[in-house]
Amino acid sequence: MKKQRALLLVVAIVMILVAIWSYVLLVAPASESLDQREHDVASQLKCPVCQGESVADSPSTISQQMRGVIRQQLQQGQSEQQIIQYFVSRYGNSILWSPPKQGFTMLAWIIPIAILLGGALLLMLVLRGWLTAGRASRRAVDEDGGEPLDLDDLQQFQAQLEQELAADDPMFARMSKEEHKEARATARVAPTIDEARRAGNVSKEVGS
Amino acid sequence: MYFSDLGFISLLLAAGFAVLAIALSIAGALRKHTALVASAKRSVLAVTCFLLLASASLIISFLTHDFGVSYVAQHSSLSMPWYFTASAFYGGQEGSLLYWALMLSVFSAIFIFTSKRAPTALVPYVMATLMAIEIFFLLMLVSVSNPFARLPVPLANGVGLNPLLMDPGMLVHPPMLLMGYMSFSVPFAFAVAAMITGQLGSEWLRAIRRWMLAAWAIQTTGLLLGAWWAYHVLGWGGYWGWDPVENAALLPWLTATAFLHSTMVQERRGMLKVWNLALVALSFTLSIFGTFEVRSGIISSVHSFAYSAIGGYFLAFLALIIVFSTALFIFRLPRLRPEQEFDSAISREGSFLLNNFLLLGVTFATLWGTLFPLISQAFTHQTLTVGPPFYEQVNGPILLILILAMGVGPLLAWRRTSIRALWRNLGWPALAAAVCAAVLPLFGVRDVWANVAFAVCAFTAGAILYEVWRGVRVRHKHGEAYPIALFMLINRYRQRYGGYIVHLGFVLLAVGVIGSNFFQSQKDADLKPGQSISVSGYQPVYLGNIDEKYPDVETITAQLQVWHDGQLQQYIYPARQFYPNFDNQPASQISITTHDLTDLYVFLANWDGLSQATIRVFVNPLVTFVWLGGVFMLFGGIICWWPERKKRHVKQFVKDVSVEDQVVGTRATARVPSQPDPTPAPTMTRSVVSKIRNHSRGEGGVDEGRGPLRSPSYPFLRHSRGDRLSADSSGTKEATP
Repeated sequence: MKKQRALLLVVAIVMILVAIWSYVLLVAPASESLDQREHDVASQLKCPVCQGESVADSPSTISQQMRGVIRQQLQQGQSEQQIIQYFVSRYGNSILWSPPKQGFTMLAWIIPIAILLGGALLLMLVLRGWLTAGRASRRAVDEDGGEPLDLDDLQQFQAQLEQELAADDPMFARMSKEEHKEARATARVAPTIDEARRAGNVSKEVGS
Repeated sequence: MYFSDLGFISLLLAAGFAVLAIALSIAGALRKHTALVASAKRSVLAVTCFLLLASASLIISFLTHDFGVSYVAQHSSLSMPWYFTASAFYGGQEGSLLYWALMLSVFSAIFIFTSKRAPTALVPYVMATLMAIEIFFLLMLVSVSNPFARLPVPLANGVGLNPLLMDPGMLVHPPMLLMGYMSFSVPFAFAVAAMITGQLGSEWLRAIRRWMLAAWAIQTTGLLLGAWWAYHVLGWGGYWGWDPVENAALLPWLTATAFLHSTMVQERRGMLKVWNLALVALSFTLSIFGTFEVRSGIISSVHSFAYSAIGGYFLAFLALIIVFSTALFIFRLPRLRPEQEFDSAISREGSFLLNNFLLLGVTFATLWGTLFPLISQAFTHQTLTVGPPFYEQVNGPILLILILAMGVGPLLAWRRTSIRALWRNLGWPALAAAVCAAVLPLFGVRDVWANVAFAVCAFTAGAILYEVWRGVRVRHKHGEAYPIALFMLINRYRQRYGGYIVHLGFVLLAVGVIGSNFFQSQKDADLKPGQSISVSGYQPVYLGNIDEKYPDVETITAQLQVWHDGQLQQYIYPARQFYPNFDNQPASQISITTHDLTDLYVFLANWDGLSQATIRVFVNPLVTFVWLGGVFMLFGGIICWWPERKKRHVKQFVKDVSVEDQVVGTRATARVPSQPDPTPAPTMTRSVVSKIRNHSRGEGGVDEGRGPLRSPSYPFLRHSRGDRLSADSSGTKEATP
């Protein structure tokens, strides 16, 4: 309980922090430098003469000139979108470094997201199918199990499992010392599988 | 008689032996004739020998400057240093195909030398598949893409190598990537063999996994070297540009990563068999697609070193692979039923499913982005580019969720996890994330997304480190000093802790990527001697240019001083190099200096005489973490891959019991007797265990999100039933090297 409360506290702290910082950042508009804004615009445009480089990255002369134009227009107070539109009107869509989010090229953006959502849905359906199938077959095993395992045996098996796990496992080391002793005591007197089989308790399941 | 003739004859002989190997191995498998299989093995080794001979001939042709060979004349010149001359072997299309074929044959030979460990029934079919792939490459090499074709009149001097390739990084990056592509064919061959023989049990899976891990590690190295090369040569201040060819190399890596995760589900729980086979086939298909894309030049790329007509052949081969593997699938689908049921979505299985879903999501988005220009061209006749902004916006969030899942996943137990145990384990990592989110803005991280991303990284790093710490603490309590405890922990549970190291490396890499993506600053300036520019605290002062002329290269070097906080840090010398025959493509020597995890990246963009230069300066924070993380990933991968010490008696014992298929992966393990037990021991069958599990379910407290235990010493078991519970997942795992 104590630990859960501590976790809730942490979660609360995170939430508050996120709230504060997003407020600060969203309300106080980013006062980016001219260089930064120029870079932002330039990195959305493709260098027309290079292989796979944006205007921001390319050292070519034409890119240098385009960066000059961007800076000039930014200084004139144009918005980033307006500047990009200006270049599109001069060079066509091929100047854009990523497909525009409209018309046919919208597909470039929609399809991956649609596939992702579809995949998530499919995964969920498959999981649900598996879960119900698993439950059904477990029930079937429980029902047609006929002679059920002796509860004592089960406890002993479980104690043994836990013992083995505890030997090297920090998760199980959390068990209290009393529990350890108890489990060990039970395990020590537990019959072996062979003995259990001879007793007829688990005959159907053991061996093959 | 030239060496090139020897090479060509070797290629023909190699093709002949490859055909022979296929015929012998299939006949041997059908008639169950071991002698035939043995001679098939020897034929494969003959193929390897002849390909080695062919490659040696090509290298000798290069080193002896035999410009009568067209390939040699086009890719080398007299003035090139010997190491670039030799590495020009894989500098062009013909040579790189020969290299592919050579590596495939070398891997086939390695497979044959280790084939004792593989399931016997699979071996002939694995050989046949490998040789079928080999034949495709050999046919290309002797017909449309012959590296030994001779010119009618030998040239006096060769053209030389593309200057972009004249870089030390280039000596290792292309061979690594090509080898990575190639190495996916071994797991594919195993998958085909398993589907043909119908032996789809866990044996082939174990055999396949180390090959896949090797392929993964090679591909990781290739990708890292590629990033390193791009960063040091291309001059745009970045290391990954989502270029089509880079994407092509990333795709099989992603699916291989997905496979390496989902394979664990199959090993432990017998589920996802179809899916795993599909991932193996997909990885190979994507690697052939990658080779096709690089070579066909259908999509424009910075890697357009070699356009050619062989694209069509690759496309046909690709189609053949897809049709063949799909047909095999449909044929074997009935045998691929899961052995066990799914219990809960909040379980290790569930987290692996999420992992696969996200990785495949990234794969699809990347493939889609790479192919979209073609689709758009076909439908709208409009050329357009899908550049980095697309991939960053689509893949960025998916990768972030993946990193988060990386932190949570290992904390979940197989089958199901109690929510309470999960919360308990999440406390510390969540605290790490909170502290990170709180503190970073004070250090100037004022971008919300960057902050969120860093916090996620902190969470996952916290979760991994906490998990390692708990393991170390337990061992420490048993009397081991901390460093020894850490070493022993990693040494004994290599897969688990090797995996953690890979994850940690990926988080470090992500930190580097986030840092350099969000906080890069850049400036260009035309400078005259004495002038300077100032970029986020750094102030390079330009002094002048030096022009040096050598017979094979002309170098223009700019001299700059770097000032930081009013102090002279050092002198730097970014340079450009002109190679004869490539005057319009000067190579660049970028000056990269690291101060406090921040790279100062200075590129000489242009110059005029000796006293004017255009300098681009990037300040890239945290890029060091990209390389560090990459090295971590590789290191972790090698730890996972590293063979176990041989424990023969265990192997013997488990073989006697022959329980591989019927025994469940409970982690209840017991001491394996040190002497082989003459009588087969009874084993816990799945039904018993599941019965026990069913009954014990819901009790809480039983949290088994731990790795398999291996030969621990349980005093009470030693006396009572040690020899009865011995055959379990970890026992069987030890049995396979």
